[in-house]
Amino acid sequence: MHEYFITKYSVEVINDIIFYPILSIVVFGFMTLYMVGFTGQVVAGNILTGFILWQVINITVYSIAVGCLWDVWSRNLTNIFITPISITEYLISYTFSGALKSLLVVVLATILSAYVFHFNLISFGLVNLVIYFINLAGFGFGFGIIVLGLIFRYGTRVQALSWGLLNIFQPLMAVVYPVTVLPKSLQAVAYIFPPTYIFEAARINIVNQTIQWDLISKAFLLNLIFIMFAIAFFNFMFARSKKLGQFARLEG
Amino acid sequence: MDILTVKNLTKRFGKFTAVNNISFSLKEGEILGLLGPNGAGKTTTIQMLLGITTPDAGEINYFENDFFNNRQSCLEKINYTSAFNELQGRETVMENLVVSSLLYQIKNYQKKIFELVDYFGVRNLIDRRYKFLSSGEMSRINLIKSLLNDPKILLMDEPTASLDPDIADKTLEIIENLKKDRNLSILYTSHNMKEVDRICDRIIFLNHGEIFAEDTPSGLTKKMEAISLEEAFIQIVRKKQHVDQKN
Repeated sequence: MHEYFITKYSVEVINDIIFYPILSIVVFGFMTLYMVGFTGQVVAGNILTGFILWQVINITVYSIAVGCLWDVWSRNLTNIFITPISITEYLISYTFSGALKSLLVVVLATILSAYVFHFNLISFGLVNLVIYFINLAGFGFGFGIIVLGLIFRYGTRVQALSWGLLNIFQPLMAVVYPVTVLPKSLQAVAYIFPPTYIFEAARINIVNQTIQWDLISKAFLLNLIFIMFAIAFFNFMFARSKKLGQFARLEG
Repeated sequence: MDILTVKNLTKRFGKFTAVNNISFSLKEGEILGLLGPNGAGKTTTIQMLLGITTPDAGEINYFENDFFNNRQSCLEKINYTSAFNELQGRETVMENLVVSSLLYQIKNYQKKIFELVDYFGVRNLIDRRYKFLSSGEMSRINLIKSLLNDPKILLMDEPTASLDPDIADKTLEIIENLKKDRNLSILYTSHNMKEVDRICDRIIFLNHGEIFAEDTPSGLTKKMEAISLEEAFIQIVRKKQHVDQKN
């Protein structure tokens, strides 16, 4: 509810999580229409699929990290953390709102793609889409709490990580191209990231709608390990921040 | 009856000791002033009492329960207001109060909110965005927020710091009435000795993180052979500075 109240008054939030992603999808959509003539439907579909699914991670991370920053900037964070709410409840609520927002954007993008760009994401199969969504939102949660842990520990001087850190890793996750495009050494790095397997599976779905259990199970397993690491990292950073008095100084 | 007891509380930031082995208690229905010059350790003490800074040593017990092992149940019964914290500026007053009520899981929160806004005479502000309120209006809304969960203990960190004398006086009147009407226990920090003298039953004087004196406002003034609490404050601080310089 807190997120909803802030969002409805904040043009920049609506721009960042709805307008800008949709606009980007429109741009990529037109680009794919242009590319169909040169590369065929499959490559163009790869790019659009990757870009739509990427929004699930992007919006979940943004929701967790920037959601907290709104309260830091308003000097309201203390008011939240002195209530009986636990840190787990706090993170779950932001993840839930992030997942809801990503779902909204994916639904809008799917409708737009189907009607304007003649590309139907639903043709992947609902089960596939649900599996992809859960995995990508899970990774977004893990990444988001790592960024949040860094903000809690180092303060607002690292707040730009909320927008920028994820983009550093985007090329390694092979979002819009197959992993084989990457140099050999980077391919090994790419397979460390759970979303890489999801994007690979989604690309296969453009020509073949079967569920890619091999890739999905690897993504699930790596996500589980990544989320456990992210929780441990966040807990360490949060405890350290409270120990060093940084948490109380966050509001400046 | 003591509803807050603090034993041997210590906090160090590197080589600097912000709070050094302090112990005190707060009784039911009492207003306890936490005084001291800048950097004395007042705010760090409050931060530890709220659980947003972790102490290096010591115990905090609310209602005879260890705070660190019963964080949730303790926080249900305490609240906090400060001149240095605000509510979410983008939300309206009502939205802020609804969010706070939900965080405290208050049943029938609409009724509670309207009871409090009427008590403070600010029903006209509920649809205004918080960031557009004046300092005096903000301080009253902050106080309403801090009373939503019917706290047994209220921690107030310089609540009148940014207020003009008229609004500060009205705020103090509200605090006096709250104590009377609700038997509220308050831990109060301020640099304004006149208001401390007016509302506090007892005071603890912190200097360099240590408890330097503990008495009633009039008792401390008498002990220091001063004509006012303000003069006693100045005497204590300068005496300590003199001793430090000698050492």
